[in-house]
Amino acid sequence: MLGFMDYVQQAFYEASHWNHDNSYGALTATAKALLDFETPPGLRLNLSSLSSPNFATSYTVGSVGVVDGSLSYLYSSLPLKTESKSSDIDLYHVIRGYRHAQDLRRPDEPWWWEIWHEGKRIDRRDTLLYGRLFLPRSSLEALYLRRISPTRQLKVSCVSDSSLVNGGTILALLQNDYGKYSTEYLYSTDSALFGFRGLYNFGLDPRKAAKLSTSSTAAENIAIEPTYGRFSAGAELYYGILNKSGGMSTGIRFTTLPQHTGFPYTMTLTVNPLMGNLSTSYAVKAGRSLALCSRFDFNVYSYESDLQMGLELWRRQQPTGTVDWAAKMIRADWKKPSLRADEDISGVLKARVDQNWNIGILWEGRIKELLFTLGASFDLRKRDKIVKGVGVELQYSS
Amino acid sequence: MAFNFNWSPLIADTSRARDMLTTALNKSPKPPIIVDDIIVTELNLGSVPPELEILEIGDLAEDKFRGIFKMAYTGDAFLTLKTRVQANPLNTYLSTKPSFASPQPLAASSGLTIPLQITLSDFRLSGFVILVFCKTKGLTLVFRNDPLESLKVSSTFDSIPFVRDYLQKEIEGQLRVLFMDDLPAILHRLSLRLWSPEYTEMDDERVLNTNKDATVPIDPLASPAQDPVDAFGNPIDESELSSLSLDSPTETHASFSQKNLLRLATLKESQRTLSLFTPSLRDTVFRAWAGGIDRPESAAGTPQLTSSTLSRHHSSLATNSSAHSVSDNSDTGTSSSRPSFIGRSSSYHGLSGSRPRAHPPRQRKKRVVDLRKNKEDGTESVSTEASTPAPSVAGSFEPPSSIPEEKEGELTTPPRSPNKAVRFHSRQVSIDDLDTPKTEERQRHDRAESTNAAINASNALHNALLSDLESKMPLHRHARNAHSTSTLPLLRNYSLEKLSHAKPVPPYAESSSSSSGGILEQAWMMKMANEIARKVREEKMGEAGSDGFWLPSEDVDGPPPAYAA
Repeated sequence: MLGFMDYVQQAFYEASHWNHDNSYGALTATAKALLDFETPPGLRLNLSSLSSPNFATSYTVGSVGVVDGSLSYLYSSLPLKTESKSSDIDLYHVIRGYRHAQDLRRPDEPWWWEIWHEGKRIDRRDTLLYGRLFLPRSSLEALYLRRISPTRQLKVSCVSDSSLVNGGTILALLQNDYGKYSTEYLYSTDSALFGFRGLYNFGLDPRKAAKLSTSSTAAENIAIEPTYGRFSAGAELYYGILNKSGGMSTGIRFTTLPQHTGFPYTMTLTVNPLMGNLSTSYAVKAGRSLALCSRFDFNVYSYESDLQMGLELWRRQQPTGTVDWAAKMIRADWKKPSLRADEDISGVLKARVDQNWNIGILWEGRIKELLFTLGASFDLRKRDKIVKGVGVELQYSS
Repeated sequence: MAFNFNWSPLIADTSRARDMLTTALNKSPKPPIIVDDIIVTELNLGSVPPELEILEIGDLAEDKFRGIFKMAYTGDAFLTLKTRVQANPLNTYLSTKPSFASPQPLAASSGLTIPLQITLSDFRLSGFVILVFCKTKGLTLVFRNDPLESLKVSSTFDSIPFVRDYLQKEIEGQLRVLFMDDLPAILHRLSLRLWSPEYTEMDDERVLNTNKDATVPIDPLASPAQDPVDAFGNPIDESELSSLSLDSPTETHASFSQKNLLRLATLKESQRTLSLFTPSLRDTVFRAWAGGIDRPESAAGTPQLTSSTLSRHHSSLATNSSAHSVSDNSDTGTSSSRPSFIGRSSSYHGLSGSRPRAHPPRQRKKRVVDLRKNKEDGTESVSTEASTPAPSVAGSFEPPSSIPEEKEGELTTPPRSPNKAVRFHSRQVSIDDLDTPKTEERQRHDRAESTNAAINASNALHNALLSDLESKMPLHRHARNAHSTSTLPLLRNYSLEKLSHAKPVPPYAESSSSSSGGILEQAWMMKMANEIARKVREEKMGEAGSDGFWLPSEDVDGPPPAYAA
């Protein structure tokens, strides 16, 4: 489950029309959500609030051995009109599961953002500031996020911690998203690491498609074949100047679009040619409330392999028998005023297992006003200590 | 003078050393590049021993050795390590960074683990070695300088020159750390296991004792370094005292075995030669052990106390062999049962800093000649122990807390000036019938000398009696404990002498007066003490049937010493 601050950041991306998924880093987002979820360690309580559309606070208290916690504050120059009460938050927004690829959105024109007042441009770039202080270990996280232009975003994240080399590290990330393709340039102060990431989407360019639809006639529109899936390819490249070492990988993905009539699925293949690592994943949304995923890793140099499987099961409340007859009599075109997307969801069960019999189980959902995450991880190979960890996380926000 | 270093047993079985090396290598946090345990698969010390040149020998005793050597090694030892390393530099780099500011690469950081086998051979070592051997603390070996001159590293990656050079450099650096830091620790632990298996046993026992006691009592034998505090007259808490006195009955559980006595004898014999071989003695604590700071304070365990007292006797035997008054302790040990031996020894040591010896019931006087003790006098001072009418009183004087007064440091060094000052003060308070303490001491000394010869003969009988009485009177002893902490060793000594001069009076009277302030309390305590003392006296009269001159006097219970208030 996303933390409250991550949820607010997602809301910022949405409000500023930034497609977070159109990036090489998000190529395997579905497989990661289904297989690499983290089980909470120990007990953790989260109290958050979006006190104004621009300001959010969050406090965390945890008990992993000793009591620790964190304070975090977030400021956004863009008013965020999102649900902040934990009783109203859409569970689909905070629980990461199978990611439905959406049609690529045409980026905003730069002049859309211009605001003129008395002959002067007064529009400001949207900015998000975020800070988090961990106690008692006195570690500080800071984030600066700025939408420089409709196709560009700058993200600077810093960590200050006395245990780190040089006392901290800064990562600067410049992201460009043109819809058809996206590029990212990054620099990390740790060992002066430079990086580049790029993603290219095959198929129709959303910018041209938009122009085409506006200029062409209705008859020509029909002639355009609707696309049922999208094929993407990307690569990343890193080089650390100080330690004179680098890394790279390439990857491809095919995913179905909402127009697809069958069940949605996503396939990815990532290759690390330097290290000889191959990773393939296949995720399928088998039903309205079930998603399955498998991943196979293989190293051509060391012949090491790994197989992981996971599933995601959304539990829905059965309609109570007493009002069944009334629900049936409702006219089909009558819309219930308060129906949300996750109205009938009571929780999500996620489970994963790998070939070494490491098992992780996560149960996420909502009780009354609280969002909860209950997780456990097991290692069936170790007879003496099968349970590796159990944890509960509770979130309340207003 | 010659030393015989035996190299062959070292090369015979290296499995234990291998295991220890493995654990030592895996103990410290490994660099992220190493993803598996480091396993030492082969360890061979080679057939060529290192050349050692003795530069200096600082200390040489049967249980101690300190020396400096010049070491040169060009042997054929080799060591093979096996582990797995992470070959992806990005993976190791990211694993140490916080995820918040990490680039979070998609697949560029995927791992590639490679099994790695490294063989280290052709060691060339030369350096100065400081070797300290102590029976208790094991073997400590320190390199004064960096001993590593060169070595040959051969690994799985020998075909890649870059990796080979890198490994050579890294491993040389690591080995330097190993020689300077880790190796001494490993050798130390090995030596502890090898030479003193009792050490671990006693460790266990000590742990058990610690667990049993809610309040951690101070073991006087374990920490004699804290003795000066006692000697200055700083009082110990009542709670600590009670826990101590509760522990003391456990002393009587010990027993002596014929085998250990035999070994003791061998040890004694070995002292006459320069042989480094010292037989391992079970249930024995040596002087050096007692000085260990690392030992838990609680440890009031039986074997410890007994054995340390034994070792004390032994050491005093060694140091005072010139003094004619010292009896042969091993003889008394054999003739007496062990519990009594313990009781006796601890009691005498507790009596004063001048190490009084046993005083049998019939021969009530005994003296000890200490050549080193009283340097302020400039002469060989002899402190006599005017013996109390019965051994039980002496036994009562033996709180465990006062035992550390007899530690090694005090034996060799004269009392410091603050100590002395306090002593004088105490004399003024408690002894008013003496003109000067010194003359009194001299007189006693003279008296003692005459009766000295008979002491040794009657030691055994005395021991038996003493143990008997001790077991009968735990209360008495307890009270004495309280008393002894609030007064100085010398004061106690004097008061005891005073006791011998006059009427029998309870030792507790003093203890109570010194510890309590209320008059009522004092009076009650006096009464109680008197009663108990009478009983004690009667008992002693019955047993010893000796003259009243040496009976405890009443004038002891004067005002308490000011410093102890």
